[in-house]
Amino acid sequence: MNERVDEFEFFLEKDWSDGFPVVTPTEERIARMLTGTKRNHDEVIGPIPPGMEIATVRNVAVHALMAGCRLEYLPVVLGATELMLRDEFNVNGVQGTMHGVAPMMIVNGPYAAEIGLHGGNGCLGPGFRANATIGRAIRLILMNLGAGIPGVSSMTIFGMPSRFTYCLTENVEDGPWESLSASKGYLPDDNVITMAMVESPRFCFDDVSDEPDRLLIGIADTMTSMGSWNMHARSDMVVAMGPQHAGICANAGWSRADVHRRLCELAGRKVRDLKGGGNWRRERALALPIDVDPDDDDCFVPTIKNPEDLQLIVAGGWGPCTAVCHGWSGGSRAVHGKYQV
Amino acid sequence: MVNGLGFVDPTAGGGKEIILLAPRPSNLSGKVVGLLDNTKEQADIILQTIGDALCEQYGVERVIIRRKEHYSKPATDEMIDEMAKQVDVAIAGLGG
Amino acid sequence: MCSVHDTVEFEKRGIPSTTIITEAFKKAADFQFRGKGMQGHPYVQLPHPVSNLQPGEIRELTLRFVDEVATHLKG
Repeated sequence: MNERVDEFEFFLEKDWSDGFPVVTPTEERIARMLTGTKRNHDEVIGPIPPGMEIATVRNVAVHALMAGCRLEYLPVVLGATELMLRDEFNVNGVQGTMHGVAPMMIVNGPYAAEIGLHGGNGCLGPGFRANATIGRAIRLILMNLGAGIPGVSSMTIFGMPSRFTYCLTENVEDGPWESLSASKGYLPDDNVITMAMVESPRFCFDDVSDEPDRLLIGIADTMTSMGSWNMHARSDMVVAMGPQHAGICANAGWSRADVHRRLCELAGRKVRDLKGGGNWRRERALALPIDVDPDDDDCFVPTIKNPEDLQLIVAGGWGPCTAVCHGWSGGSRAVHGKYQV
Repeated sequence: MVNGLGFVDPTAGGGKEIILLAPRPSNLSGKVVGLLDNTKEQADIILQTIGDALCEQYGVERVIIRRKEHYSKPATDEMIDEMAKQVDVAIAGLGG
Repeated sequence: MCSVHDTVEFEKRGIPSTTIITEAFKKAADFQFRGKGMQGHPYVQLPHPVSNLQPGEIRELTLRFVDEVATHLKG
């Protein structure tokens, strides 16, 4: 390395730095990272808004390298970059929004396990290289190529810890049901990524319920709040049931679809419990894509306006907890697709 | 990107095309104003107020309003093209 | 933000255009205009926030900026 320039300081001082050091991108390291894909290195993936720098296979590889990825992770990073550029996901909007939502990546299929993506205990926290670095690569792409930089083009009020990295797989070993991707019609051998624009999770602890009805009432409660945009706009949500909670439902004979349906039915609040605080406005209620009478205090406003908007997964370690990730008002729809290994 | 540093600097930026301002009319009298409403809250009232005031105070002949699908998405080329054929000047709102 | 995009697209088509933003998004607007090749393009900043204002208050506020809008659209 050039002795006059401290490589770590060089990148830490960049506007697009996430605040952590990066793996220094040398040509040798980039070449090695690129062996992780069969794709043409000059292949164009697309412009990353709002900066509109063009993501190519090569420069995605550079960001994956900087994030600390192994070369085996590159196919996932490439797949996620492509997926997040779909119009309906609305990365352009989220890059500038005052909200702090981030693209959460849920990776299903055999390749996830092969590269060590983790869906068990601690899967949304530090300690797992694939989870940490794949999610981080996406964030570095959004900040550098996309210029999603707070105070520059991003008006995010707080950001969120999940804007450092937000990637996991499901707990295949302990989960009682088919995977999220299978529930969407993919085959067991398909390598699939689902991405949803959501907040960092809040938890529903319940070590009391031993049957689904009471358990899901508590989880549904965590799916609502006066200040949640899910109540005031059509918005995606991720519910990650810990395997213990999922097991309570499965052991009572409930399928994934049963739980999904029941959560959609239960989660919500009556107008009288929404209008006293938070983001409630009559006009917002009237603009919802469902029938809501804002002048009827007993009118129930469901959290989930369309069943497609609830991404239900099984993840996490053993314990009485489910994680709920609220959504955004920016018109983003979750996206999913196969990625090439 | 490779430089005397001994490593690659993938920092983005630079080399953007420069877009020149469209020529301005000397006044707005008799002109058609396009208002592009991105559906952000209050955008409709703000734009309508501006449109009405331009008619009253600046002699604008009429106002055409179009509403986008969602505030955080750009207008389609089709919508911009359609408006551009009918208007002399345009106002887009509401950012923020 | 997309209203900036829309204004730039109008300008590319020869239609003078300006953008109405709230002042909280000034930096984002400056960045976006620069990124799209129209650095320094004039826009109108309303005080932030406006979402909690009643219709009458919004109209009264907006009327204070009409002359500025006109200035950006004519020579």
